[in-house]
Amino acid sequence: VNGVDVSSALVLEIGLAILMLIVFLVGLVMPAGDKRRVGVLTAIGLVILLGLSWRAEAGTEIFNGAFVQDELALFAKRLFIVATLIGVLASLPLRAAAFARRATEYYMAILASLLGMLVLGSARDLILLFVAFELMSIPLYYLTGFLKREPEAVEAALKFFLVGTVSSAVLVYGLSFMYGIAGTTDIRGVAKALTTGHPMLLLGMLLALGGLGFKIAAFPFHMWVPDTYEAASTPFVAWLSVAPKAAGFVVIFRLYLEGMGDRVLFWVPAAAGLATVTIIGGNLMAIPQQNVKRLLAYSGVAHIGYMLVGFAAVSANGAAMMLFYLVAYLFGNMGAFLVVEAVAQAEGSEGIAAYRGLAQRSPILALSMLLFLLSLGGIPFVAGFWAKLYVFWAAAEQGLYWLVLVAAVLTVVALFYYLLVAKRMYIDVPDRRDPIPVAPLLSFCIFVCVLGVVLTGIYPKPLVVAALRAASPLF
Amino acid sequence: MSAAMPLGLSSFPVLSIITWSPFVGALLIMFLARRNAVLVRWLAVVSTAVSLILSIVIYVAYDREAAGFQFYEDVPVVPPLGINYQLGIDGMSLLMVLLTSIIIFAGAWASWTVKVRSQEFYALLLVLVTGVYGVFVSLDLFVLFLFYEIAVLPMYLLIGIWGSSGEVRPQGIFGWAFGRTGVGTKEYAAMKLTLYLLFGSAFILVGILALYVANDSSSFSFLEMELGQFDPRLQSWVFLAFYVGFGILAGIWPLHTWSPDGHASAPTAVSMLHAGVLMKLGAYGVVRLGMGLLPDATLQWSWLVGTIACINIVYGAFSAMAQTDLKYVIAYSSVSHMGVVMLGAATLTEVGLNGSVYQMFAHGIMTGLFFALVGLVYEKAHSREIFKMGGFGRMMPGIATAFTIAGLSSLGLPATAGFVAELLTFLGAWQSTYSWWLIPAVGGAYLTAIYVLRVTKQIFWGPQSLDPHFQNLPDARGPEWAALWILVFVIVLFGVWPSLALALVDTATMPLLNRLWVLQ
Repeated sequence: VNGVDVSSALVLEIGLAILMLIVFLVGLVMPAGDKRRVGVLTAIGLVILLGLSWRAEAGTEIFNGAFVQDELALFAKRLFIVATLIGVLASLPLRAAAFARRATEYYMAILASLLGMLVLGSARDLILLFVAFELMSIPLYYLTGFLKREPEAVEAALKFFLVGTVSSAVLVYGLSFMYGIAGTTDIRGVAKALTTGHPMLLLGMLLALGGLGFKIAAFPFHMWVPDTYEAASTPFVAWLSVAPKAAGFVVIFRLYLEGMGDRVLFWVPAAAGLATVTIIGGNLMAIPQQNVKRLLAYSGVAHIGYMLVGFAAVSANGAAMMLFYLVAYLFGNMGAFLVVEAVAQAEGSEGIAAYRGLAQRSPILALSMLLFLLSLGGIPFVAGFWAKLYVFWAAAEQGLYWLVLVAAVLTVVALFYYLLVAKRMYIDVPDRRDPIPVAPLLSFCIFVCVLGVVLTGIYPKPLVVAALRAASPLF
Repeated sequence: MSAAMPLGLSSFPVLSIITWSPFVGALLIMFLARRNAVLVRWLAVVSTAVSLILSIVIYVAYDREAAGFQFYEDVPVVPPLGINYQLGIDGMSLLMVLLTSIIIFAGAWASWTVKVRSQEFYALLLVLVTGVYGVFVSLDLFVLFLFYEIAVLPMYLLIGIWGSSGEVRPQGIFGWAFGRTGVGTKEYAAMKLTLYLLFGSAFILVGILALYVANDSSSFSFLEMELGQFDPRLQSWVFLAFYVGFGILAGIWPLHTWSPDGHASAPTAVSMLHAGVLMKLGAYGVVRLGMGLLPDATLQWSWLVGTIACINIVYGAFSAMAQTDLKYVIAYSSVSHMGVVMLGAATLTEVGLNGSVYQMFAHGIMTGLFFALVGLVYEKAHSREIFKMGGFGRMMPGIATAFTIAGLSSLGLPATAGFVAELLTFLGAWQSTYSWWLIPAVGGAYLTAIYVLRVTKQIFWGPQSLDPHFQNLPDARGPEWAALWILVFVIVLFGVWPSLALALVDTATMPLLNRLWVLQ
């Protein structure tokens, strides 16, 4: 096929498929009561896969360009694998019996979803894109309802599933218009057809943006987020809040930016509008939350809005800064969720009140949480500051000063509810003095996230350079 | 731009040492002084003393003939984006650095009695000071913004943990909201102050980004932007962004309401630093970035800045009169006096701008002294209610005398620093295009006399209170005297010898005004 070795472009996907087979087979021979060691195997496999991703070469295309392994795909794939690795490691200490008995299912589903993401990162064909999207999404519904005896989990899974399938329908409806007008399923062909300015094609692309809006949880398509997050197991939610959204953004890059040239300017009003309502909606709805998972869910919606600010800049810089933002968000958001998990395991509560005086009980855990919250809030010397600064800069370059101002002012609202958590931890007096026990693997994951947040905050340059290189093939 | 350095200071990173010395102190306190309260205090005093001594050294060594930015340092940080760690100091920022050094050194002594979690208290306080120094000495707008954020955030914990809650009675048309939001509590004040200031920083960030993009995204350097010509329309809105952003910190009406709550709830050293130095940081930002980089917009908007400053003076003074809580009186007087600072800047005259900078310094020292004294009174008498206290002058003559001197400086009595500052500002207002500004300005000084003298008389010099809690109160002792002596000395010194500061300030304000006058 075009003289390119198929296996070299597909190396990560093939590796992951092999890993899934091994996990499946090993899971079969494990003792029925406790299959948790499957997770260890999964984690080791993912580490190898992550190493492979640095050996993979960028710039190969196979299947007539339907599958492309460029810098963007590789950057995104590394991000997916890192997020999954952290999610898997943090899942290992989960104590519910279901996680021991049905561990094979759990990790298989995560890996299947990851496979969908990896393909999605490279898909440049409408059909491949849609299939990969579903491969990513369906295991997520299943994982949300993994604790099938708990009514909240079932409710959340059903809600997520219904909203998710409807959004898939809207997405595929939009894709069908694109195919109908462009006469090809190749995304580059769609981009060329856009010069005609055919209204049905524009309608199709807007419909697809709506469908994607559900996946990335942009306002007003975010309704599934808080319930799903609240009911599902926290390490899974930490992963869910990052990896599938990152995949959604890669699709946005491919569909709306790649090979568009000057025509990207079509998307500025839609993207800026979506960013504005998402930032405002997410931040305002986060304020009254008393459950930290719900609070992080709404704040996550707001963060999607900030990434859309980078999309609204419709430039290589804007796309690169969104990628940077995704990495900062990965460490900050996953870290915060993992602290929630640590506190919930000890206190049995995800409520904001469980954090009373945490700084005097477990100072290091409290400091980690503070760093994550400050990073999410965009305070200097942690990763989130540069992330916000860079997307603002990209938008300012396009003259979108009003958007930057709205977004910057709303960060103050975000800091309000982040500081409410900080107040509980640092200002309130604890009821008890004993430190919170944290499982070693969980503290390792939290430590990794702290490292990511702080190192990126102090020395962002290598990541910026990598993100700029990843975004370069788009324009 | 780097002028000849006297005393061989050219290769010595003196500004960095001044800036980072408190930060190093904070690190030492966190890692070395675990549960050793005395060592914590001495580390704080020593690290701030290093900054103070070096500030005095550069004050002496600054070449007044050459003027401009001196003690220049430049280290590229993120070269592709044009971010450099670029420091330099001119007459105006030098005076502000000196002010910061004096206040924090006195503040370290004044906080000697902080007992709860004192290690964290001193560490956060010193980090905060590093941020303040950084804003005054950095010439790179981006680095300036970073330091600004450092100067804002520790405040939340400082007020929230070590602050004190006052009594605020629900009243007025928003009375229903008082109970729900917890007005008057330290948590409320901490959150309000932090959110207001971060709200301001959002505007500052947008302004800085706009100038950066207009400058071809090449450099954040103040010196390079100063040479460029920005489009007047861009200047116009960026100036407003800077005015709102830095103006919130300077306490401009109607965005000042964080300041009385915050200063009243903050612990002593934080009130001293915040009212004494951080509010000046706002005014400094308006003058340095707003007026320094955007000359067309300055001419366009000076009427607005001056008019709001007049409202500040009168509104702040009337509000101060209405308070029954001693700390709120001082806090509102800061709002009033910051109006004088902004008014002097808005006159666009040499005397006015010099008066403005002089007032930044004079008010900083004076209000620092006030808050130190209020803290002492509260610690001895455990009360801030003015009309419950009385006749303290007999029991604490030292505190009473210092309070009276601060009060006299506040109302602008000759031979105090406040007199020089207000006189210059009034002269500037008279010479400016809008000479009617003089009326509210002088009226404000008169109102200040009323409330300051009334408070002083009631608490210290009036008849003795019969309340059994207020009998046999001690005077200041030990380390507390250090704080009072330093501040009183500076007030009187700069009151009788104004050219100590004025000659210096003039070297910085004249070039700035010359750029404006060329346009007029």
